[in-house]
Amino acid sequence: MKGKTWLFWGGLIAAAGGVLFQTSYDVQDLEEKLAGLNRKIIQEQESIQILKAEWSYLNDPTKLEQMAQAYLALQPSEPRQYMAMDMIPMRPGDAVQPPAQTNPAPLPPMVRAPGTGAPQVAAARIPAAPNNSGAGGIVPVSMPAGAALAKPLPMDKALERAPVVVPASLPSSGSLADPSRATRIKPSALVPGSARAPAEKAPDRAAGKLAPNAPTSRPTELAARPTPPAPAPAPKAAAPAAQQPYQPKPTDSLGLLVARLGANR
Amino acid sequence: MNGHDHGGPAGYGQPGASTGSTYVPPPAPSPFPPSPQQQSAKPRTSLAVALEQSRYRLMVTAAVVTTVFTAISVKLAMATMFAGGGEPRQHVALEVDNTTTNRADILDRNGNLLATSLVTQSLYADPKLVSRPEEAAQKLVSVLPELDYKDVLGKLVGDRRFVWLKRNLTPKQQAAVHRLGIPGIAFEREERRFYPAGPLTSHVVGFTGIDNNGLAGMEQGFNKRLTEDPGTPLQLSIDLRLQHVLKKELAATVQEFSAIGAAGIVFDVRNGEVLAMVSLPDFDPQDPTGLNPDTLFNRATLGVYEMGSTFKIFNSALAFDSGKIRVSDMFDAAHPIKIGRFTINDYHNLHRALTVAEVFQHSSNLGSVRMVQQVGVAAQKAFMTKMGFTKPTGLELPESGWPLVPNPWREVNSYTISFGHGISVSPMHTVAAAASVINGGLFHKPTLLKRKAGDEIPTDQVVSRSTSDMMRRMFRFVVTEGTGKSAEVKGYVVGGKTGTADKQKGRHYQKNSRMSSFLGAFPMNDPRYIVYVLVDEPKATAKTYGYATGGWVAAPAVGRIVKQIGPLLNVPMVDENAPEILNSTFLNAAGSTNWQQTMPSVTAPPPSKGSTVASFPTQTKPR
Repeated sequence: MKGKTWLFWGGLIAAAGGVLFQTSYDVQDLEEKLAGLNRKIIQEQESIQILKAEWSYLNDPTKLEQMAQAYLALQPSEPRQYMAMDMIPMRPGDAVQPPAQTNPAPLPPMVRAPGTGAPQVAAARIPAAPNNSGAGGIVPVSMPAGAALAKPLPMDKALERAPVVVPASLPSSGSLADPSRATRIKPSALVPGSARAPAEKAPDRAAGKLAPNAPTSRPTELAARPTPPAPAPAPKAAAPAAQQPYQPKPTDSLGLLVARLGANR
Repeated sequence: MNGHDHGGPAGYGQPGASTGSTYVPPPAPSPFPPSPQQQSAKPRTSLAVALEQSRYRLMVTAAVVTTVFTAISVKLAMATMFAGGGEPRQHVALEVDNTTTNRADILDRNGNLLATSLVTQSLYADPKLVSRPEEAAQKLVSVLPELDYKDVLGKLVGDRRFVWLKRNLTPKQQAAVHRLGIPGIAFEREERRFYPAGPLTSHVVGFTGIDNNGLAGMEQGFNKRLTEDPGTPLQLSIDLRLQHVLKKELAATVQEFSAIGAAGIVFDVRNGEVLAMVSLPDFDPQDPTGLNPDTLFNRATLGVYEMGSTFKIFNSALAFDSGKIRVSDMFDAAHPIKIGRFTINDYHNLHRALTVAEVFQHSSNLGSVRMVQQVGVAAQKAFMTKMGFTKPTGLELPESGWPLVPNPWREVNSYTISFGHGISVSPMHTVAAAASVINGGLFHKPTLLKRKAGDEIPTDQVVSRSTSDMMRRMFRFVVTEGTGKSAEVKGYVVGGKTGTADKQKGRHYQKNSRMSSFLGAFPMNDPRYIVYVLVDEPKATAKTYGYATGGWVAAPAVGRIVKQIGPLLNVPMVDENAPEILNSTFLNAAGSTNWQQTMPSVTAPPPSKGSTVASFPTQTKPR
């Protein structure tokens, strides 16, 4: 009996000692790890500080200006290069809901896949649109051009069923590959004569300066227009195709904006 | 035998007593002669004594042992159970946001670093521990070539226990020295103040000494704040981009006119923030010592100068605000004024009477004096005090100059003050006061700290709204048809006032050393910023036809600056000839503000040719 008690207590003490021993070593390990981490944090903070200082040093305006003069063809910006937002004219078709509401993507995707964007808006605006135009509308706007080209048929059908007189020269899938060309053709080719007629007495804001090849609006308006005598959205449709010396790339949203404003003429 | 027998037990008795303390001698040997009894009594008493002693010793020993062990166990219990788990040191994770340095960063208003502290290692030696100084010095010089061998050797053989060998090593240098493994040489972690923008903001930010105490600029003005709260950076109102434009143009002007210095300020008239402040020549805050002490002098805040014609701003504002003078009133500007030994004359005498607008336009001294004659000396003194010209500006820099104000303020002083002589104020004084004149009459104390969005801006109405409105037109008039034409920038309705003051050397004014300045503001239909340029001793060039006045020297610089900073400050461009702009800025020489009457041809804004923004279709629509 006595021996067993001794054994019990002895075992307990030994176990406690072992656990304590183990814990103490664990703690020591953790402490070392923590100290190492703290050291690293300080080191990182110091190097961040150095990087910050270096960044500021390299961003010194004096230095940047020298470098820009040496390596870039950029000139100091002038006040005339800036303008207020309200100086930018509204799009000609004020009545049309801007496509930006249905897709928040910036200009390039809309330009790249004009055919896909159009039926989508059409579907959104005309609830009774044929179901295959709805199928076209499912095509995401951000989809690459190749994917959009894969199924041009729904778009064609959508346009055919739309209450617009679609001429035979509807851009095929081949011409869709060149969006700039597509946008150039479209206004003149697609706008029916009845719609073009009021364009001559178009509002004064169209007084020539506005380059009408704004690629974003054209297909949308066309597809969305329910009746032919809509407020003319295509002022001087034929003019721009002939006299554009510079056509910005479809991905160049700034260039497109400039072209739209006619500033490079 | 008996004796032997008796002696036997007695002989054995002692060892017996030593072994068992309870041994009591038997009373049996009483028949024995007393001598053996005496013999046995003696050991018995010594035995008892010994017993007694040992008992005491045992008790004392036990007490001591008990006390000690109790103390140990109490201490043990306390250490293990009550004293925070008995951890001698507790390891705590660092806060990530904490800074490792002891001095806060200084930022510009957009968050660009203007001053920061970098941790570096400094090399020191304990000469006692350096065993072979020659060899050590040679090795050190081999990796740190900028050290001088003799100098290092001298330090290493000295008696001191601590000598700095080199402060602020780069990490590469530190590694190189470390690899040498010289005993007695060690590193000390130190901080070094670093100014990424360099000389660009030198007069604003200032610099620190080797022990990181601020010695100039904001580093000195906010020394306590920077060291007490190293985690939060100090954000200034300075904009680095504007600072660069301002300095670039000032430097170009200084070079063009071979001036000895220049000062420039860009000031937000709506809240009193100083957006840029440059004083040339400037210095490198990394190495401010050993240079020409002239470079440390801040002309924009510490230098006080006679401002010249720029003061006519305040003279006119005083005249309007007094209610005694209207803009169309005529004042004689043909006849020189003699007072005491002085004769006051005009730079260009037009030999006729001028309206207030023309006095301002042509910067006529005579007209200004006539105006102040009508207003009175006391009113002028009160007005100038209100404008803050009698005390330092309250800018946070320690370099804030005290104005030189005449005392007593006599009539002759009031005459000269009306055209900016006889009172010396710093450019910052002038700018802050001019801001209050054109922003609707609200005086804001100039500040170099960025105001937080919701903070209330301390203001002080110093002139009336109508005075301020008229002063805006006068500013604009100087640029459209007066001395400041070269400050015009298309689209940013610039206004301003030129100033040219002869410098005083000793008791006399010098003919050919002057301070030329221009105080410009834009856009004048709703003033937002003041651009001030002061050039110290410009020399006329052939391009300026021999003139070195404010209109020729400083006004073009202001124009160039406005042109570049306007877009940066997001100031919208407007057409100067649009009706609503003319409504708020027009003034003609006769003092009329009605532009439709005087310019019937411009009832509609002119067609697109003149304006750079007119090529857009909406131009014809009134905005």
